[in-house]
Amino acid sequence: MLSRSAQGLYWMGRYLERAQHLCRLLQLQVEALVDRPVREIHLGWSRIYGALNRQPPFGGIQFDRRDNYTLADSYTLAGDLTFERSNPDSVWNCFALGRENARQMRHRISAEMWICLNLAYLRIQKLNIENIWKTSPENFYAETVEDIHTFAGVAATTMYRDEGWHFMQLGHSIERAQHSAALFLSQIATARLYRDSPDGDCTALLRLYHAFDAYDRKHSVEIQPHQVLDLLATDPLLPNSLCRSLDSAAAELAAIPQGPSATGSAAASRLAGRVQALIRHEWPDREDREAMLRQIGEHCRSLHDQIMAAYIDYSVEAPPVH
Amino acid sequence: MEFAAYDLDDGIYDEMLQPNGEPREHSRLLYETLCRLSSEEIGNIQERVTRSFSNEGISFTVYGDAEANERIIPVDCLPRILPADEWKHLEIGLTQRLAALNRFLDDVYGEARIIGDGVIPADVVRGCPQYRSEMCGVSVPHGTWVAVCGTDLVRTNQGFQVLEDNLRVPSGVSYMIANRKVVKTSLRRLYRSSRVRGVEHYGRLLQETLRELSPSGRKDPCIALLTPGVYNSAFYEHMFLAREIGAELVEGRDLLVNGGFVYMRTTTGLRRVDVVYRRVDDDFLDPLVFREDSLLGVPGLIHAYKLGNVAVVNAPGTGIADDKSVYAYVPDMIRYYLGEEPILGNVQTHLCRRPEELEYTLDNLENLVVKRVGESGGYGMLVGPHSTPEERDTYAKQVRANPADFISQPVLPLSRAPCLIEGRPEPRHVDLRPFVLHGTRTRLVPGAFCRVALRRGSLVVNSSQGGGGKDLWVLEA
Repeated sequence: MLSRSAQGLYWMGRYLERAQHLCRLLQLQVEALVDRPVREIHLGWSRIYGALNRQPPFGGIQFDRRDNYTLADSYTLAGDLTFERSNPDSVWNCFALGRENARQMRHRISAEMWICLNLAYLRIQKLNIENIWKTSPENFYAETVEDIHTFAGVAATTMYRDEGWHFMQLGHSIERAQHSAALFLSQIATARLYRDSPDGDCTALLRLYHAFDAYDRKHSVEIQPHQVLDLLATDPLLPNSLCRSLDSAAAELAAIPQGPSATGSAAASRLAGRVQALIRHEWPDREDREAMLRQIGEHCRSLHDQIMAAYIDYSVEAPPVH
Repeated sequence: MEFAAYDLDDGIYDEMLQPNGEPREHSRLLYETLCRLSSEEIGNIQERVTRSFSNEGISFTVYGDAEANERIIPVDCLPRILPADEWKHLEIGLTQRLAALNRFLDDVYGEARIIGDGVIPADVVRGCPQYRSEMCGVSVPHGTWVAVCGTDLVRTNQGFQVLEDNLRVPSGVSYMIANRKVVKTSLRRLYRSSRVRGVEHYGRLLQETLRELSPSGRKDPCIALLTPGVYNSAFYEHMFLAREIGAELVEGRDLLVNGGFVYMRTTTGLRRVDVVYRRVDDDFLDPLVFREDSLLGVPGLIHAYKLGNVAVVNAPGTGIADDKSVYAYVPDMIRYYLGEEPILGNVQTHLCRRPEELEYTLDNLENLVVKRVGESGGYGMLVGPHSTPEERDTYAKQVRANPADFISQPVLPLSRAPCLIEGRPEPRHVDLRPFVLHGTRTRLVPGAFCRVALRRGSLVVNSSQGGGGKDLWVLEA
């Protein structure tokens, strides 16, 4: 497959996963605006901005504001994260970039995938924060997530399982793993700031990962932050757990034929295996969760670089020719 | 839907109706079907067609219009119909014309007998901006310089005429197929009953053609479609065709030349490319040979091509044969190379390089269409009857300053076809661009991109100038 096509599909996977992840976070956050205490709302915004490593537009989230300020601030923050064109990680930008990569690679995805994504784009394109805030903004986020899920389903049933598929899935998996690592780190940091919050708002985290039932089955209805983190990080059966994302990245990488340099491909494979082992085998025995999560985040970034070097931006001084 | 208020003009051929308002025989079924449909029903059909184009993102970028990076090409849901005998006539005429044009290119970049024999002046050929001296002496596979040709045909009361040949990177075929796909499903019973010939196999024919041109000895040739990129007006088409012919869609940066061979960068290493179906203009193809500031091309591509290690389709230098001055000589080329009379005539053309034709042009600007020889896409032309005195004055100065850069033609009463405008049928001017393929033999799909000047009274059908499209149905014999 043409390297640039593989790169386009990889980024399509990454951007759509990024858009979806942010939509899910924002959906839960705007739902919380309806009836949750102000501090919990603050905690939610802090966690989101922390996970994105981004400063809120007005320079920081204020802790001791009254309800009306919280709602006004929330409007600004949601606008910043959803439609702000100058924010490269806003939902709008991520979705538009995912769709743009798809547009440029239309010949490499199924026609059904393209139409599905384009229809969603045409819907989102007409909206702004003012429109969605008037009624129930959570619907917008839920619909966008649904669109991306539909796209994934259409892809699963219509896309040819060639390298393009694996690169798309690889991008998706690495993005999800990186997000999870960043979000868990942000969760730990935020919980430290809001010590009076009974469970560090782990409930929201469980909802985000569709993990309530799994948690119930494994533990009890009483929420223990460290158990939540362990579950979301290491449960191989949980669809979006960190462990599963890393397994998936390693599996997708293994399915891609070797690049022009055997050493380059092998290095990427080894790294994928190493980070997979980290979460599977080392996590249970180590106490320093933050250090581990940072390490996983760094490995994910390195993995991305190694994949680019092995398959996309390789040197052509002594290329194998076929 | 009613045709009672439909405007017929004796001086303009209507594709559907006779001057007495009765449908032409081949359009009777369409006419009767439309008459049975209510305004709401036909409105729904049009809405469905438009929505389908929007949903599928079938676009055409208009340069200089930031808002229209992905402009959806307007499509009218009422098909234009050609009977089998008319198509047969066009098919024979187009085949003849392309054969002569290929012979001409082989000749002018070779022995140049046609110049030596005084059929066409040397300065018309060698003074043409599209003349590529770098191609002199190059032997192209099977003598096929032009493998993909899009010829613009117009019809008047006197019959079909060739308006221009597009021999470099003609576009529009994807819209032909897209129009068909959506219109046939929107008018399914009519389509079934009308016995329309299919066009959807164009991709297969193009692939066969390209394979025939691949360097000898390559059993399973690797084809790459070279696009200038996503900002090109026809990017949708490039993507569409790459999929249709199973080619990689490459940009210049994806290709490199090593040891006289062309390679593309794949995830498993470099892969040799046998055929480059290029949709990049000559100027930008190879910075080592043509424009050195080109970032769209591939350094060394022409060297590999001259070595016979890769086919470049269409060949560089073909623009000389669709130059608007050279166009005037195509009927003479047909007589010269083939010893036949042209089946399809040209539009009367005045070459401003000739003093008497320059004066005629300047004296009659308000009645003529004046075009720059090096432009295409409807850019840089003056439509006399639709121009203001100031525009004519400005244009006249340009013509006088560089007469050889201009030609003029009479304003043709292009035929019209009914289009659905605000719920009613209204006549709009149309042309058609069939696509002729030639590898070792000529292939055509029975159809064309039918372009429509959607603005009332406008004669400009170009997509870049606000034109739209229509499905063209060629009927079985």
